[in-house]
Amino acid sequence: MIPSWVIFAAIALVFWGITGVTQKLSTNRISSGQSFLWFAYAMGAISLVLWLFVPMHWHVTRLTLWLAIAGGMLNGLGALTSFAALESGGKASVVISLISLYPLLTVTLAVLFLHERIRVGQGIGIMLAVAAAILLSMEKPAAAAE
Amino acid sequence: MTSAASESVSPPRTLAGMPAWLAFSLLTILLWGAWGVTSKIASEGVDANTNQVFFTFGLLPLVVWIWCAMRFRPRADDTKRSWIGIGWAFITGILGGTGNIAFFHALVAGGKVSIVAPVTALFPLVTVILAVAILHERLSLQQKCGLALALVAIYLLSM
Repeated sequence: MIPSWVIFAAIALVFWGITGVTQKLSTNRISSGQSFLWFAYAMGAISLVLWLFVPMHWHVTRLTLWLAIAGGMLNGLGALTSFAALESGGKASVVISLISLYPLLTVTLAVLFLHERIRVGQGIGIMLAVAAAILLSMEKPAAAAE
Repeated sequence: MTSAASESVSPPRTLAGMPAWLAFSLLTILLWGAWGVTSKIASEGVDANTNQVFFTFGLLPLVVWIWCAMRFRPRADDTKRSWIGIGWAFITGILGGTGNIAFFHALVAGGKVSIVAPVTALFPLVTVILAVAILHERLSLQQKCGLALALVAIYLLSM
């Protein structure tokens, strides 16, 4: 029996994976700024649909509220700084490989502050996942130039 | 420095004493790395759909900032208009938002963020497969190795 979190994580992986292609198709035609704005408008559209058609649970603690809002800001700022890294002369293969290390920070913070425990097999999996993400972002020079 | 060489080749931009691209890359790691943890803590007290609405509120100040920057200090490529490009950006937002909701559901369903974050960070796996299938790009040797490693990692992390 596959745990439900694995299925949801797989869905996120697939949807975010598709955005890798659609984002490229977008930024080939418009600026990263315009691309970010329309990306955010779409997020707004999703939120509007959720707000209208799905029961919302507004009664949350102040900490939860601010952490959830901060989440959007951290994620969006991260997208902007990644664009800035590429536009500041960083090679795409180096920048994207470096950025792929971000789960290591999440894991470290989760172990330190959330006291999550990691089994040996999972620890190896984390290292392999990070190595895989770095390797996957290494395009052939000709493809990178397209 | 007034030599011809220094005039023709502008020095790399620096930020906090390091090349700007490195500073921005490290900042990205910091921001996205922290996002995973804030999402996990928030997921203890809010459902995935409401979390996505709050997430969007967090984007609002950035939207205002980028909109103002493009309005008052536009760059050359900001004037490019392409409805196809805009369409792809909008689709990216729809897919990204749906992915977010699934990510929040994974955390609400009890997934440890120390496991969920590395699993979902393997999304370039799907990008690479689609790039081959749709954009007819060819895989590099490193990407083929990455594909194999990713599958092993997913197996180990989902155990």
